[in-house]
Amino acid sequence: MSFAIETEGLIKIFRSRWSGKEVRAVDGISLRVERGATFGLLGPNGAGKTTFVKMLLSCAHPTGGRAMVFGRDSCEAEARRPIGYLPENHRFPTYMTGHSMLDFYGALSGMESAARRKRIPELLAIVGLAEWGDVRLGKYSKGMLQRVGLAQALMHEPSLLILDEPSDGVDPIGRRQIRDILQALEQQGVTIFLNSHLLAEVELFCHDVAIIHRGRVALEGKVKDLTAGSGYRVEAEHVPERLEQDLRAKAVAVAQRNGNVEFLFGSRDEANQAVDLLRAEHCEIESVARTSSTLEDVFVKAVNEQ
Amino acid sequence: MNSKTIAVTLALVRDTFREAFARKIFWGFFGCSTALILFFIFIMRIDVVQGAIATVSLFGNAAHSLDVQRLVRQAHGAIAAFLFTAGMFLAVFASAGLIPSVFEPGRIELLLSKPVERYHILLGRYAGNVLVIAANIFYLVFAVWLIFGIKTGVWTAGFLWSSVLTVYMFAVLLTVVVLVGVLWESAAVTTMVTFAIMIVSPILAQQQTLERLLTSETSRNIVRGAYYALPKVFDLGRITRSLVLGNPIDNWMPVWSSGLFGVAILGAGIYVFARKNY
Repeated sequence: MSFAIETEGLIKIFRSRWSGKEVRAVDGISLRVERGATFGLLGPNGAGKTTFVKMLLSCAHPTGGRAMVFGRDSCEAEARRPIGYLPENHRFPTYMTGHSMLDFYGALSGMESAARRKRIPELLAIVGLAEWGDVRLGKYSKGMLQRVGLAQALMHEPSLLILDEPSDGVDPIGRRQIRDILQALEQQGVTIFLNSHLLAEVELFCHDVAIIHRGRVALEGKVKDLTAGSGYRVEAEHVPERLEQDLRAKAVAVAQRNGNVEFLFGSRDEANQAVDLLRAEHCEIESVARTSSTLEDVFVKAVNEQ
Repeated sequence: MNSKTIAVTLALVRDTFREAFARKIFWGFFGCSTALILFFIFIMRIDVVQGAIATVSLFGNAAHSLDVQRLVRQAHGAIAAFLFTAGMFLAVFASAGLIPSVFEPGRIELLLSKPVERYHILLGRYAGNVLVIAANIFYLVFAVWLIFGIKTGVWTAGFLWSSVLTVYMFAVLLTVVVLVGVLWESAAVTTMVTFAIMIVSPILAQQQTLERLLTSETSRNIVRGAYYALPKVFDLGRITRSLVLGNPIDNWMPVWSSGLFGVAILGAGIYVFARKNY
C-alpha cells in the first residue's frame, strides 16, 4: 500500500555560508500519512514543520533520507501533480485578479484552458468570493487572500491538500467556512495535511497528528487516543452524598471546587445521564462543558518531555 | 514539446507581461516608442524629387538637397544606436526587477509546489522578459522603417536586422540578470552587475591597444580573457551600425561568443536555481 505521504529518516541541515555553523532543522523524521486521512502536524515555533513541508514539495532539498508522495519521490515534478498547497505567509502577485491568479496557477498545475474557465467561477463561489473575481488581489483583505489561496490550492482537484496555517488572519465565520470546505473534501477522500500551531483547530478537524519538536517526531498517533482523557465536565452544587458516590463510579475524575462538585465524564451520553440524575435530585447545575485543549496538554507534555 | 509544456510556458510568459504592465514597464517603453513614431509621422516632412531629397523640414525649418539613401540610413543608424545604448540601459534597468520578484518568499514556494521543473519556471520567465522588450523594440523599429519607407521610398533590410541584434544583445545581458537574481535575489545587485558589464565592454573592446600598453604577460592574459569571456556589447553595437549603414561585416565572432556567454550564464543560473532551498 502506498501512502499519501511517507518519509524515511528525512533530514535537513542548513549550513551558514560564512561561519559554517549547522542547524538541523529536520532531524530524521519518519512519518506515514494514509490516503484519505486528515493529518495535523504540530510543533512549537522553529520545530521544523515548515521545512518538513517544503521538503515534501521539493522547495527544499533533503540532506538525508527521502520523502515520497503517493509512492513517488518528492523530487520528481510529477509527484507534485496531485498536491494542492497553501503556504503560510503567501504572497500572491497583487497585480493579478482573483480570476487571473486562479487561471495562472491552474495552468501551472496542468489544467486545460476550458477546464480552468469552468472551475474558476465554481471555486470563487465556494470560497465566498464570487463577486470579487475581477478585483485585483491588492484590494483583498487578509481573510479574503486566505480564501482565494485555498481556492488556488483546490484548482486542479488535488488528492492531497497541504495547508500551512490555513485560518491565519481569517475571522471566525471565514474559519467555519474553511472548515466546512475541508470537511466536504475529507468526505470526497482527499488527504488533508494541516500544518498549524492552532491546537483547537487541529483537534477539531484532524484524526491523526504528529508533534514535532527540535526537528524530531516527539509524539504521533490518533487524536482520540492521544486525548483519551478528554470528555465533558459537569459542575453542580448541593449534590447529595449518595448521588455523588454513584456518579463518582461513572466519572473519569471528580474534584471539589468552592463547595461544588466537578465531574469529568468520558462521553456525552454519560454527561447527559449525570445531568438528568442531578436535576432529578434538584441539584443546581453550575456549568456543563466539553473539556477542551486536552491536545494542548498532550502537546505541552510531549514538548517538555523531549 | 507537448501541449502541457506549451500551456505552462505561455502561462509564465503571460504572467511576465502582466507584471510588466502592472509595473508600467511595458507602457513606459510603448509610450516612448509611440511618441518617437508620431514625431516621424507628423513633425518630419520629406519631399523627394527624382531620387533626391528636395527638402527635409523639422518644426518648419527646412534643409535642402540631401541624398535620400544617406539620410534614411543615417536616421536609421541614429535610432539603432539610441536603442543599443540608452535603450539597452533602460531595458536592463526596467527588467532587473522582473526576475528577482519571482524569488520573493511566499511566491516562490507556490511556483515550486506546482508540477513544473525548476528550469522551466526560470526559462519561462526569461522568455517572457525578452518578449516584453522585443515587442517594444520591434514595434518601434518596424514602425520607423515603415514611415521612412513610405515617405522616401527607401526600404533597407539592415535596419530591421538591427532590431534582431539589439534584442539578441538584451537576451544575452538578461542571462546575467537571471544568474545574479537567482544568487542574490536583489534587483539592485542585478542592475549593478549588468551595468558594470555594459560599461566595461567599450574598454575591453580596445583590447589590442590595452595589450600593447600592458607590460606584464599576466595582465595581458587577463584583459584578453575578459574580452573573450564577457559579452561584447560595444562590438555588437558596431556590427549593428554596419548592418544599418549597409557596410560589410568582416567579423561575426562578437555575435557568437556573446551568445556562448549567454548560454553558459543561463545554464549556471538554472543550475544554481535547481539546487537552491526556498
